Amino acid sequence: MKVPLTWLTEYVDVKLTAAELAERMALTGTEVERISHAGLPATGGNLDRFIVGKVASRDRHPNADKLSLCQVDTGAGTEQIVCGAANFQAGDKVAVCLPGGLLPGRDEPLSAAVIRGVESRGMMCSEAELGLSTEAEGIMILPEDAPVGGRLADYIPLSDEVLELEVTPNRPDCLSIYGVAREVAAITGRKLKPPPAGEADPRGDDRIDEIISVGVADSDLCPRYGARLIAGVKVAPSPPWLKARIVAAGMRPVNNVVDITNYVMWTLGEPMHAFDLARISGRQLMVRRAVKDEEIITIDGTVRRLSAGMLLIADAEKPVAVAGIMGGETSEVSAGTTDILLEAANFQGRSVLETSMALGLRSESSTRFEKGLDQELVPQALAMASRLMVEIAGGRLVPGQIDIQQRPFLPEAVPLRTDRVEALLGIAVPVAEIEAILTRLGFEVEEKEDGLLVLVPSFRADVEREVDLIEEIARVFGLELVPPTLPSGMRVLGGLTSGQAVRRAAVRALAERGLSEIISYSFIMPDFADRLRLDPGDERRQVVALANPLSVEQSVMRTMMLPSLLGTLAANLSLQNQDINIFEQGRIYLPVPGEKLCDERRVIAGCLSGSLKGHSWLAGGGEADFFAGKGIVEALFASVAGSFSVERAEETFLHPGKSAAVIAGGRRAGYVGEVHPLVLEAYDIDIPVVAFEIAEAELIASSAGIIVFADLITYPASFQDLAIVVEEDLPAAEIVKVVREAGAPLLQTVRVFDVYAGGSIGDGKKSVALNLEFRSADRTLTDEDVASVRAAIIDALKDKLNAALRE
Amino acid sequence: MSGDLRKQLEAHAGLALIYEEAWAEIERAETTAGLEEARVKHLGRKSQLSSLLRSIPELPAAERPVVGKFGNQVRTVLEAALAERKKVLEAAELERRLSRESVDITLPGQPFPRGHLHLITQTLWQIEDFFSGLGYRIAEGPEVETDYYNFTALNTPEGHPARSLHDTFFVEGKPEVLLRTHTSPVQIRVMEKEDPPVYVIIPGRVYRRDSDATHTPMFHQVEGLAVDEHITMGDLKGTLEAFAKSMFGAEREIRLRPHYFPFTEPSVEVDVSCMICSGAGCRSCKYSGWLEILGAGMVDPNVFGFVGYEPDEVQGFAFGMGVERIAMLRHGMTDLRMFYDNDLRFIKQF
Ligand SMILES: [Zn+2]
Repeated sequence: MKVPLTWLTEYVDVKLTAAELAERMALTGTEVERISHAGLPATGGNLDRFIVGKVASRDRHPNADKLSLCQVDTGAGTEQIVCGAANFQAGDKVAVCLPGGLLPGRDEPLSAAVIRGVESRGMMCSEAELGLSTEAEGIMILPEDAPVGGRLADYIPLSDEVLELEVTPNRPDCLSIYGVAREVAAITGRKLKPPPAGEADPRGDDRIDEIISVGVADSDLCPRYGARLIAGVKVAPSPPWLKARIVAAGMRPVNNVVDITNYVMWTLGEPMHAFDLARISGRQLMVRRAVKDEEIITIDGTVRRLSAGMLLIADAEKPVAVAGIMGGETSEVSAGTTDILLEAANFQGRSVLETSMALGLRSESSTRFEKGLDQELVPQALAMASRLMVEIAGGRLVPGQIDIQQRPFLPEAVPLRTDRVEALLGIAVPVAEIEAILTRLGFEVEEKEDGLLVLVPSFRADVEREVDLIEEIARVFGLELVPPTLPSGMRVLGGLTSGQAVRRAAVRALAERGLSEIISYSFIMPDFADRLRLDPGDERRQVVALANPLSVEQSVMRTMMLPSLLGTLAANLSLQNQDINIFEQGRIYLPVPGEKLCDERRVIAGCLSGSLKGHSWLAGGGEADFFAGKGIVEALFASVAGSFSVERAEETFLHPGKSAAVIAGGRRAGYVGEVHPLVLEAYDIDIPVVAFEIAEAELIASSAGIIVFADLITYPASFQDLAIVVEEDLPAAEIVKVVREAGAPLLQTVRVFDVYAGGSIGDGKKSVALNLEFRSADRTLTDEDVASVRAAIIDALKDKLNAALRE
Repeated sequence: MSGDLRKQLEAHAGLALIYEEAWAEIERAETTAGLEEARVKHLGRKSQLSSLLRSIPELPAAERPVVGKFGNQVRTVLEAALAERKKVLEAAELERRLSRESVDITLPGQPFPRGHLHLITQTLWQIEDFFSGLGYRIAEGPEVETDYYNFTALNTPEGHPARSLHDTFFVEGKPEVLLRTHTSPVQIRVMEKEDPPVYVIIPGRVYRRDSDATHTPMFHQVEGLAVDEHITMGDLKGTLEAFAKSMFGAEREIRLRPHYFPFTEPSVEVDVSCMICSGAGCRSCKYSGWLEILGAGMVDPNVFGFVGYEPDEVQGFAFGMGVERIAMLRHGMTDLRMFYDNDLRFIKQF
């Protein structure tokens, strides 16, 4: 909302500079986005160089046919000015820019010049040069009442500081100059002047309701509909002052009729519409809901197909306006229009909002109506507009008016317990101060035994409850006065849950091992499932899809992290980044049939494509292979004192021989494995990648929690190495399992420290070397103790795995 | 050497010769290896001295005691000299070895690369730690949310103009399901489940259908909620002031500007004094001296109504902040989109 300061001061005599006022408004709840300047530059006395002049004489330029040589009375004397325009004569009042004057949008001030051998001391300005219109046909001729020698800016509001407000949706009253003036009066303590009033006198012996009939069929969507008739107007350009106002508000002057409706809207906040009476078929209007597929060409020239239920205004044949949003082309005011039906109405906000959104059509009118407007503006706006029509467009106000109102306005009475003000704000506000603030804001306040009874004015429909009143008091009283405190008597415990702590430990462990965290969008491209070669029946193909994505690349919620990771990896590769080892903690989104919401599971996933050891002159880095990935998963579980086992994974996107399902607590917790070459190809990745994804819930469940002390010191452990030869395809885990069972309870840990095939081992065989740790909790083990367990282990290995002891 | 020994050696020429020769070789040895050679030669099992001592029984009876006594004395003296010399040579050799082993200390050390947490995570943790220190818990909730929790229960019913301020992503086929536009719906879920007092913060991802230089379609918020018997606007101000000081420095101040949110009343926007110019005015703060960091307010009684709290018995405050904005202000970042480009050159800076 643009608020030109000179327009505002018509209604409140504020004594602050624009910057001071903006600061005060910001601190009381009206955000000022910026302060801009409209029209003539005002600095350096520039406005003194633009004055009202009177052409004393106009003669042909001695050396140029198309130029004239004028003597112009500037009040202080007469200046000789050479002019190229033809639309004026001696006696006309004109806008004169004296040498030194700077026009809007120019870099250099005007200087006296010699034009074709004749001195010219100034310039007679066109509207375009002054910023009042886009096209310039000749110079601007001022009305007869313009005071010769006076500053132009005092006669026409040509130069203004403009406050650009960001009005919150609860304050549609501030979408008007008068509403802002009321707010400014309240927050500065200055007096608010009365609203623009004054009626035009109706003339003639006809009556509006004899000329046109108006009905409201759907009064739920149109609580009030008012209209007046102005006969015999002359559609013409607006006078300069009106054009200046329209331009300063950021609109474009059109003609006097349209400019007046816009001017009234800006002043009072009530959108208006002017119909050409002659083009209203059947001399009748009906406000009603559209039926399906009714069409209207709006004044922007677009055909709009309406849905059933949208509110429109129709004449005997067709829709003539989409209510509160935009008028139709057929009944638009044009140059030949003489009789005007002025509409001011109150349309239901929600209906306007929904229609505007459905049509994709927003206007100054719809942005006001959609917030819910004050019904009482209807007669005010009609009175102001019809007076201006008569004054400016030369029409006659036809007696009578249309005003169809569902029910008259009755102010709400809201009780205010004054002690609640301090209880909520934490600062005491004296009752007299409360009353003063509310009164300045337009409320009526009555003192009652148990507090105040506050009557809410029609323009503050947003205030309904005690707490709304307290907000009004707080913002005007000053939040800077509220003392900062902390809640007293807290009876709760804060901190991370154990799950949250585990999550942090896990994430930290990954970062400590050299993986960097990425955060990628939760929505991805739907083709991920094909790129990952997921089976047609794979449930991860079932996605939560967005109805209105920004792009197809961000159109479905991910059901796995790998696509995000591979995408990020590929992007970093193309940036020439090295050792791309990344992870993400986040959610996957799995639809649940029959449920509104999906199953959102937190996972930790990553992929490695480079060395975790870095590169240096000392030695090269090591590959991102299956065991690097598995080692990271081991570190992840170790960080939470958890454990896992593996099974062969059957994931289409992983290398079939170098991938594993991660099992924790008997449940599948995720996977680790080298990414399938075809998947890498689909993501334009030309280096090997190993990936993992672990469900956070399983990680947390596997966490041992508080670690229970075990005495590893008092009775020392005994260590033995054991090398066996087994079938080459026997998994190490099975060997370890047999050893563990046979070695219990003295055997504490088993560690595979060497695996070797070939050489003297024999075809199809491998040698596996184990390091065994024996320990008793209550004594130091003897050689005999260990020897007998070792023998039992060897027997079991021979028995169950057909293993041979390697000497 | 004692005069006595010397005299005896002179008396026994063979022993003297052995002694002189051995002594000289020990003194001459320049390396521990040479010294070892001398030891083997003069004191080893095959040395002249050992042979002489072994042959004592065969000597004439008169010579036996002399050779026996003084031969052993010679051995002792030579062994001591040998040990002494060995120490000297070893010390010299160690010194030579160490000086040979000198490295180029200006070469870089062995790398032990570490990874980096995303700046958003680091900022989130810092915010979480601040509030958990004040006694807040960390609550979480769904990102794919219903219209009811995201809007209606937050006092933003259908048709409310504030809804159009949120550019919402909707879920296909389910018009009442959307991606949450703020973390505030979790407020409702927490209050539905728990009786007051409630002190929680709610971090998480949120989504708005907007993408340009200053908007990403996904970003992070931390919502805060305190509901108790006597919570005041002053408590909100004090809490946020402490927060601002913790995040941006002890000398920071805050100010509250009245604002509008449907689910708080009164509502405020909170500015922190500019950390770049300390309030004097600069480009970052658009010469105002203040930077907006979050929105807040007293929980609207209607919201309490939705969760079944008695509006006359409890009051509370809520606030919501954009984590990206906090991180950008703290670290002097200017381009929001860098957070989600995931360029490792950016991530590894922090
Ligand atoms: Zn600054």
